[in-house]
Amino acid sequence: MKKSRSQIVTGLSLLVILLLYGSVSQGAETTGAVGFQKKPFLGKSSPMLELPIPQDAADIRYLGLSGAGNFTIEQVKSRVLIIEVFSFYCPHCQRSAAQVNELYQNIEVRPGIKEKIKMIGIGVGNSLYEVNSFRERYRVPFPLIPDQSMEIAELLGVRGTPTFIVVKLDGKELQEQIYFGEGGFQDTRQFLAEIIKSAGLEAEGTK
Amino acid sequence: MMSEQTKGKSLMLSIIGVCILMAGIATVYGQSGGFSEFKDYVYPVGKLIPRDSVAMLKVGDSAPNFTLPAVYGSKVSLNQFKGKRNVVISFVPAAWTPVCSDQWPGYNIVKDLFDKHDAILLGITVDNIPTLYAWTKQMVTQNENLWFPVLSDFYPHGAVASKYGVLRSEGVTERAIFLINKKGIISYIDIHDINQRPPLEDLAKALEALDKQ
Repeated sequence: MKKSRSQIVTGLSLLVILLLYGSVSQGAETTGAVGFQKKPFLGKSSPMLELPIPQDAADIRYLGLSGAGNFTIEQVKSRVLIIEVFSFYCPHCQRSAAQVNELYQNIEVRPGIKEKIKMIGIGVGNSLYEVNSFRERYRVPFPLIPDQSMEIAELLGVRGTPTFIVVKLDGKELQEQIYFGEGGFQDTRQFLAEIIKSAGLEAEGTK
Repeated sequence: MMSEQTKGKSLMLSIIGVCILMAGIATVYGQSGGFSEFKDYVYPVGKLIPRDSVAMLKVGDSAPNFTLPAVYGSKVSLNQFKGKRNVVISFVPAAWTPVCSDQWPGYNIVKDLFDKHDAILLGITVDNIPTLYAWTKQMVTQNENLWFPVLSDFYPHGAVASKYGVLRSEGVTERAIFLINKKGIISYIDIHDINQRPPLEDLAKALEALDKQ
C-alpha cells in the first residue's frame, strides 16, 4: 500500500517537473540577471505601441512629453520606465494599489534616481472614466492610461493583471525589457533595488 | 543574486503559468485576466450568444417587486427602497465565470458614485448562497465585504430574472443593469452583450440623468 502511494507521489512529482521544465525552458533563453524574468517583446522599434498623451498637465510634465495626440514609450524622458498593466476591475490590482504607490514614493524621494525612473499604468480593457475612477479611489500619483481595446496589453504580451514590465530607454529608442513579472511584486524596496541594479543606474552613482 | 523569495515566486508563477496554459484560459484572456490566487477557479465559458432572452420590461414600466435571500443578513425586497433610494440592479450570468468575476469588484470601489446619486446597488445571480458567499469573498480583502447586498435567485430558479426578462435558455441570466427610481419606475435598462463588461461611464450617465428627473 505504502509503496504504491509513494509511486504515485513520484509519478506526480515527475509530471509536475516535466510541466515546469516545459514552461521554464520556454523562457530560459531570455532569463536575465538578478532573477528578473525577461520576455521578448516589441524589439527595438515599436511603432505600433502608441499611447494617448495624458490630459493632465502634471502627467505630461512628469513623462517629459509635449503636445497632444499619441506618444511612444521611447519618447518618455527617462532612463527606465516601469509599466504596470492593471485593471479597474481587478481585485488584485485594487489590493496592491497602495504598494504600487509606495514604489512611486520610494523613487521620488531619491534624487538622482527619480529623474531616471518613471512609472505609468495601463488600464487594460478600461475606459478613460474607469481608469480615472481607479486613480481617484487610490490616489495614484503616476499617469494611468486606458487601453480599452486591449491592443497595448496584447503587444506587451500581457496575459493578466497586474503585470509589471520594466524597460530601459536611452532617449531615442527602447533598449531592452529588463523585467516582466506577472502578479505583482513582494517587497517594494527589494523590487526597486533590483530595477536600479538591472538597469545599471547604480554604477552611474547618484549625482 | 536571486533571493529565495524571488525563486519561490517565480516557481509559483511557473505553476500558475502551466495551469493557465492547461486550462486554455490564455485564449480568453480578454474576458478574464486577473492574477489573483483564484484566477484558475474562473471557468472559461468561451464566447456566448450575446443575448438569449426576450425583453419583458421597458423604460417607464413599474419595476416588478421581488424578495430574495442575501448572502449576508436576511432577505431583501425591492419595495423596501421605494420612496427612499434609487436602485441599481446588476444581474450577472453566474458566479465563477469570466467578465462578471470582475464586474462587481469594480462597483465595489466606487461606492461614492452610487452614494452621490442616492442609489443602492443590488447584485443578483441565479447561484445559491454558499456559492455566492465563496465567490464574493475572493473579490475583497480578508475581513471585508462588498458594500452592496448580493442576492440569490436560485430557487425557484431564476424566478426574478424571468420576471425581468433576462433569464437565458441555459439557466443563467443576461448581463443586465436596471435602474429603478425612487417611485419604483424603471428609468434605464442595459441588457448587455453577455461577453462584454458594461462600461462604468454608461451607468454613471444613467445615474446622472436620474437626478434631473
